[in-house]
Amino acid sequence: MKIVETTNAVENLNIENINKSPSGVSIIWREIMRDKLALISLVFLLLVTTLVYGISLFLDLDQIVKIDLFAIHEPPSSDFWLGTDYGGRDVFGQLIIGTRNSLTIGFLVTLMTGLIGVTFGLTAGFFGGHIDNIMMRVLDFFIILPFLMIVIVFVSIVPNYSIISFSLIMTAFLWMGIARLIRSKALQERELDYAQASKTLGTPRWKIMFGQVLPNVSSLIIVTMTLNLAANIGLESGLSFLGFGFPEETPSLGTLLSYARNPQTLENRWWIWMPAAILIFLLMLSVRNVGEALKRATDARQRRG
Amino acid sequence: MEFLKVEDLKIHFPIRGGLLNRKIDSVRAVDGVSFSIEQGKTYGLVGESGSGKTTTGRAIIGLNNITSGKVFFEGNDLTDNSKKVDVRKDIQMIFQDPYSSLNPKKRVIDIVAEPLRNYERLTKKEERYKVAELLEKVGLSPESILKYPHEFSGGQRQRIGIARAIALKPKLIIADEPVSALDVSVQAQVLNFMKDIQKELNLTYLFISHDLGIVKHMSDEIGIMYKGRYVEEGKTEEIFTNPQHIYTKRLVAAIPDINPQNREKQKIFRQSVQEEFEQSYHDYFDEEGLAYNLRNISNSHSVALPEKG
Repeated sequence: MKIVETTNAVENLNIENINKSPSGVSIIWREIMRDKLALISLVFLLLVTTLVYGISLFLDLDQIVKIDLFAIHEPPSSDFWLGTDYGGRDVFGQLIIGTRNSLTIGFLVTLMTGLIGVTFGLTAGFFGGHIDNIMMRVLDFFIILPFLMIVIVFVSIVPNYSIISFSLIMTAFLWMGIARLIRSKALQERELDYAQASKTLGTPRWKIMFGQVLPNVSSLIIVTMTLNLAANIGLESGLSFLGFGFPEETPSLGTLLSYARNPQTLENRWWIWMPAAILIFLLMLSVRNVGEALKRATDARQRRG
Repeated sequence: MEFLKVEDLKIHFPIRGGLLNRKIDSVRAVDGVSFSIEQGKTYGLVGESGSGKTTTGRAIIGLNNITSGKVFFEGNDLTDNSKKVDVRKDIQMIFQDPYSSLNPKKRVIDIVAEPLRNYERLTKKEERYKVAELLEKVGLSPESILKYPHEFSGGQRQRIGIARAIALKPKLIIADEPVSALDVSVQAQVLNFMKDIQKELNLTYLFISHDLGIVKHMSDEIGIMYKGRYVEEGKTEEIFTNPQHIYTKRLVAAIPDINPQNREKQKIFRQSVQEEFEQSYHDYFDEEGLAYNLRNISNSHSVALPEKG
């Protein structure tokens, strides 16, 4: 009987050198390579990120935000690459530091909302029943809070308003979307036979939740988080533009943009606001492009690679 | 001591509705089922869709909550939560749908090694050899341990499911319609293979199916369910040669005969059974259309008939 004589083929098997089927990472990589727009976007993003973080190491923040009355509204020159603003401050330096701040906030908020949202949604969806019911009511409560009003109040009462505290406030109001999304997917996944099978194989519940269900939700997580990142990079700019962001001592893209509210600046001093506007536009667009490629990579029917 | 004994098993699902989501009624998915299985034998559980056969199987392994009744496995009461005997290692399940029962994001080695990682401490290398050996045993190439489930056909995936189920050398395997998602050419292959490993590992099967031909091929004993209750139970040849309950008779009559010369004879036979069914329906089912309690008509054969007979 064939079944009994297992041994030979198994023993001869060189178990270390078996060809692997492509894993998730390599599929994503192939998809991005195939989509030139996404590839360019990714390169641009990496370039901007490294440049911004690299250059800002050598910039002296105090020097940049120091008011110089002899250099007000200078057009771009060899001294000031992108000119100066109404306080005689170097726009290029502000742009670099501002982009760094915007990116840091974008990454921080995306990571924190992702972490909270995924844990919350996965727990609610996987356990279901009463636990789900209670957790979703808590989430509903957060959703009905008036986001902008509370942020404005926070801005006026928090004494030292830093990147960390800003990100924390934002996170408190932005984790619900991803939590809902993950919960609905987890509800679906836990009913599938493979989750039930794990139970019969003696795998503890938390292991099923993180080891079996989470990988099946991962594509959704990656895609939503990337697309959220695009929105979160612009988040700070939007609030700063409205005047609820960082004070002028902390340069940010939003502050530079808000100078354009002055008609003189808008019309005659493009160097103050134009680079910031273009940079925000390009950053958000690139992150989106990469996100769209990731989205396609997770769905075999849409894949190009 | 019986190997597996199920006593008056009841599984009711609540129907909620009205104010505050109160329980207003319940679905009696399984309503008073008793049977026992000897070690090394195959017990076939047959019934139409919704008759409660799958629910019974899932309750034994602990995937459905038992409303009342007892399940004894080697003398241990599985429904007694206070004692909590861990028999999961000894009872395994083969799932109906080989497409959803394997995690699509895991490689074969992770799928098959999952029970091993829970109960046995193996090094990476030992684990690989063990999984390769299991794959070899179910007739798959050991080189495929690093593939993903979607790279296999339905029959191959079901074999992976079987490899996972036998990884811990269980004593009882609950096979929930293991071949109904497979095409006929592969069915025989998987079934014969299941018979082979049964002999090799001295497995006991609880074989759940709606296909009488397959059950006849596989089982030593058969129980027939209808609307959550037993209709007839007995040795395979008793059920097929001497069916007592009208429901069983109809089922047996519905098995197609391959020989075309018998076509007319079969047709007449089926019509006569149908006639009998229409005339004597109320002798076999109570007012609610449910089967009566089982009564022994021989040592091994029992039928659900009313007390008077």
